[in-house]
Amino acid sequence: MDIEKYVKELHDKFPDIIYLEVVNKKRLMVYIPKSILKDITDHWFNDLNYRYVIVTAMDSKQGYELIYHYSDDRTGWLMNLNVILPHNEPEIESMTQVVYGIEWIEREIMDILGIKFLNHPKPERFLFAETWPEDQYPYRRKYRQEDR
Amino acid sequence: MGKKTIVPIGPYHPLLEEPEFFKLYCDGEKVVDMEWETGYNHRGIEKICESKTFEQVFYVVERICGICSTSHPFAYANAVESIPGVEIPVRAKLIRSIVGELERVHSHLLWVGLAGHFLGYNTVFMWAWKYREPILDMFEIITGNRNSYAMFTIGGVRRDISEENADKLLKVLMDAKKKISLLTGAVMDDPVIHARLKGVAVLTAKDIHDFGAIGPTARASGVDIDIRRDDPYAAYEMVDWKVITAKEGDIFAKAEVRLMEMFESISIIKQCLELLKKENKGDIKVKVKEIPPGIGIGRAEAPRGEVFHFVKSDGSNSPVRHKIRAPSYNCITTFRRSCIGGTISDAAIATAAVDPCYCCTERMTQVYDIKTGKKMMNAAELIKLSQKKTEEIRAKGDKND
Repeated sequence: MDIEKYVKELHDKFPDIIYLEVVNKKRLMVYIPKSILKDITDHWFNDLNYRYVIVTAMDSKQGYELIYHYSDDRTGWLMNLNVILPHNEPEIESMTQVVYGIEWIEREIMDILGIKFLNHPKPERFLFAETWPEDQYPYRRKYRQEDR
Repeated sequence: MGKKTIVPIGPYHPLLEEPEFFKLYCDGEKVVDMEWETGYNHRGIEKICESKTFEQVFYVVERICGICSTSHPFAYANAVESIPGVEIPVRAKLIRSIVGELERVHSHLLWVGLAGHFLGYNTVFMWAWKYREPILDMFEIITGNRNSYAMFTIGGVRRDISEENADKLLKVLMDAKKKISLLTGAVMDDPVIHARLKGVAVLTAKDIHDFGAIGPTARASGVDIDIRRDDPYAAYEMVDWKVITAKEGDIFAKAEVRLMEMFESISIIKQCLELLKKENKGDIKVKVKEIPPGIGIGRAEAPRGEVFHFVKSDGSNSPVRHKIRAPSYNCITTFRRSCIGGTISDAAIATAAVDPCYCCTERMTQVYDIKTGKKMMNAAELIKLSQKKTEEIRAKGDKND
């Protein structure tokens, strides 16, 4: 796969992309604002037939980072969309309307990190019990400090 | 539609021996909707990993699953080693592939047995598990453990496979191949299994794409994906093998794919052992001093499908974020398509068809005297007993029946 050509194509199609980076062998990271997430997901999942893998969520200095992983199985490249949400506004559109199987991981991220997925079909607890306190999110950095 | 009956399976699955809860909404015999609940066994492994060093994480992720206990370290090793860009020695690559493929053989045999058990066909269960036993003994000879082999480390493997053990392994595999052929013939030609599995719980290629399902579940629906070929790691580029697929998408096709994959695995191990002989006494690991800041994403093809590990390092000696995705996570969601529309009796085998993962490593027991209630053996004595057994198996070696 000619990655330089592909990167240019993608940048032309979605000029709002913040920047692109090949992190290591066969792994492309695309940093995007949340406004174009749905369009680019739709392009990858439906037009290019990339396989949905999973979403990684983490709390970093810049904000809550969501990394959507998609796999291009014809070339073996793993394509990643990185969206950073500010700490004071952890909200993003749910991708369930595009990718059917993404429902579970979004519910899991709601549990562990307290990110709100708008228009999610079933915004209920997934991993944690109903009795788990409302405002406790164990994967937040602040929680870790309190824990220690 | 009138009233619906809720048929619960769980919270403790009577056959899978794993906590999970299926709520089947039924109209008569027919399943019209289903819900799935989980989290009963959430151990917070990702969080635990963040408090361990990169080296220690291997032993934590190994304990995620008792059946595919090598696939998690495999994906984690691929992730961590990709951060500094370490190239591991050829001998380590070969040993990694041998352990990985041996695991696939025992895992698929386990599934075939369980599938028979789910259908009420216990002869298949007895056969498959009997043939699996010599493979587990072989694991004990090579690694010292039946499960949780502790073979992997950053930069290579921890134990070498001696020439003597390689010969033993080859002999056991050739024996197993004959027996698996027999089992395959018996399962594929059985009219009862045909009647029970053909055309049941069909998943189309579109269903697979919608849910991101992987492994034999995807390959049985004609989706030709396999991480070992698509994003090669370890020694899979050095040997000849092919990806097994089937078109039908029903449970029979899944059984067919798994049975045929065992022959491919045996062939891979055989080729790896030959290469291992040529490689002679090479290194089995390289020293990796530190993991620099960066992101590593590793994938490995477990018996159930792709295992995904994401590791973020900040230059310290432990990961700041470690995300793990086991294959069952994406496969179990397909139940919504495979079970709905079928009958309740089909749901039992349909929920087992993707081979949801559970643990079978309960070999550790405490022995009490019934009358006095006194402990007769403690942990140290049990470990000694276990080591004695390993020595016995090693001495007996190829006499396994």
